[in-house]
Amino acid sequence: MIHLPSIIKIALRALRVNKMRSALTMLGIIIGVAAVITMLAVGKGASDKISDQIATVGSNLIIVVPGSTTAGGVRMGSGSFQSLTRGDADAISSESSVMLAAPVISGASQVVYGNANWATSVVGTTHDMLGVRDWTLASGRNFYEQEIRSAAKVCLLGQTVADNLFGNANPLDQTIRIRKVPFTVVGVLGSKGQSMMGQDQDDIIYVPVTAAERNLFGRRIPGSVHYIMVKAVNTEELSRAEEQIRQLLRQRHRIGPDQDDDFTVRNLTQMLQLTEQASRVMSLLLAAIAGVSLLVGGIGIMNIMLVSVTERTREIGIRMAVGAKTWDIRTQFIIEALILSMIGGLIGILLGVGFAEILSHFTGWTILISPFSIAMSFGFSALIGIFFGFYPAYKASLLDPIDALRHE
Amino acid sequence: MTLIKTNQLEKKYDVGDTIVHALDRVSVRIDAGEFVAVMGPSGSGKSTFMNVIGCLDKSTAGLYLLDGIDVSRMERDELARIRNEKIGFVFQGFNLLSRTSALENVEVPLLYQRNGVSPKERKDRARQVLAMLGLEDRQHHHPNQLSGGQQQRVAIARALVNNPPLLLADEPTGNLDTKTSIEIMELFVRLNEEKHITIVLVTHEPDISAYSRRMIRFLDGQVVNDEVNRP
Repeated sequence: MIHLPSIIKIALRALRVNKMRSALTMLGIIIGVAAVITMLAVGKGASDKISDQIATVGSNLIIVVPGSTTAGGVRMGSGSFQSLTRGDADAISSESSVMLAAPVISGASQVVYGNANWATSVVGTTHDMLGVRDWTLASGRNFYEQEIRSAAKVCLLGQTVADNLFGNANPLDQTIRIRKVPFTVVGVLGSKGQSMMGQDQDDIIYVPVTAAERNLFGRRIPGSVHYIMVKAVNTEELSRAEEQIRQLLRQRHRIGPDQDDDFTVRNLTQMLQLTEQASRVMSLLLAAIAGVSLLVGGIGIMNIMLVSVTERTREIGIRMAVGAKTWDIRTQFIIEALILSMIGGLIGILLGVGFAEILSHFTGWTILISPFSIAMSFGFSALIGIFFGFYPAYKASLLDPIDALRHE
Repeated sequence: MTLIKTNQLEKKYDVGDTIVHALDRVSVRIDAGEFVAVMGPSGSGKSTFMNVIGCLDKSTAGLYLLDGIDVSRMERDELARIRNEKIGFVFQGFNLLSRTSALENVEVPLLYQRNGVSPKERKDRARQVLAMLGLEDRQHHHPNQLSGGQQQRVAIARALVNNPPLLLADEPTGNLDTKTSIEIMELFVRLNEEKHITIVLVTHEPDISAYSRRMIRFLDGQVVNDEVNRP
């Protein structure tokens, strides 16, 4: 076989002779690879972000909210009807497909510690909430069941609240005031960061649901809650859990067969998973379009290589006359196509990475450029060079040396 | 020692309803060290003879032994190897690679050598041959920067770089003026006499064929005359 560095040198010289043509030929590959890199970066970034959010919200989550009330013909909107109770939550938690259920009464409150104060959302719930939302504790402990029953004035602080009220001091066993009512801090939650909507999930205080009702947010119907958060035993049981909850609540609320539910069951995880799926489909679709552009680029390379073979028929004849074999000629033209597509691929990768960065800078999208996508695009463009370079190379290698030498 | 031996060599072309005998039972023997001119009008078969002898074309029947090897039934790549090792070509139109220096042009046959020649050795050998032909100061010139005579000398250097036993020249002076033609022919004579290289030269010019020591004349695909010019 012919010496490889020499053949590369010959190929580079041939490509340099027609600089403009070589550049234009590469353009298809450049655009294709740049598009693949950008699409994969944006798509991967989006789906990773959604996965992260699923992880922070908590997995296998169902939320049950009360139905709407009608007051003199004016519909009050979801949650206005105080139909859900703590008893409902207890009943739901004993369903077979449900792992945990936590009732919630929440409201915004100004909280005070010493001379620091902070406005945050105060959520009355039970000790089960930590399990439902996959919260960890940074320090301290969860509520005791006893504290829920006795409406103990204890609380768990989110990281943001702890930071704002206590700074670097230890909040445990300190007393803060929520709506002037003193609550003792028994634990500090681990950090979850921002939610999908950009909300700070750590800006929160948990208190026993009973204490919230008695001391903070009085309820018109005692025992009623704003909503109930439910964790199903696993992803497969999610829809069965939804159905069980619906049946149970219809029974508990004595809803007749032809009456509408006075509550709504929503599957939070499913919504996120659908979003994730949609973003994955979207990025696949765009990658497919980019793939088509790569294919077109490859055909462009084949086209130019065929022209090049015709133009250089005499050169091929000379090389054959002095002893070039079939594969010497073939290798030479394949290497040329390969160099075209690989240089195109490299430029495309640089452009794609640059474009993805610019895009994320101006739109704020999360992008993720994986080494895999770079390696894949580079490998794919090389493959295109070999694949589309082969036919012109094959044609060149089969020329008759006498005809080729006579070619003008 | 016999370098070329053909026996009843035939080359037939099927042109529609007639068959053209480009070579018709040609039996020729050429010894090592000879300087032979192949003459004949166009269409006489001298070019076909040249192509078959040069392993660029295959005969349809008959036998051809080159340096004792039967090459008449060889495959494409085997013929390429024979051309690379045993034959140097000089063409009328020089056939140098454009945009490629004289040195690199001379290196080309070494590029396709079976055993592989290192880039350094290629350069050294190409340089030596160019120097032998008085082109040491033209190594880095491209063909378009060289005169016709210089280009043909580069082509001769390329033909000689692999030390082949046989040099085939097809109308080597056809594109050159008289003065340069004489220079090139004198170079051939020198190569034949000093380096003992066998030369087979195709020409239709009697002035040119006069430099050879033997003349083979073709007509209608057959050898019609074979005589010694000068001892």
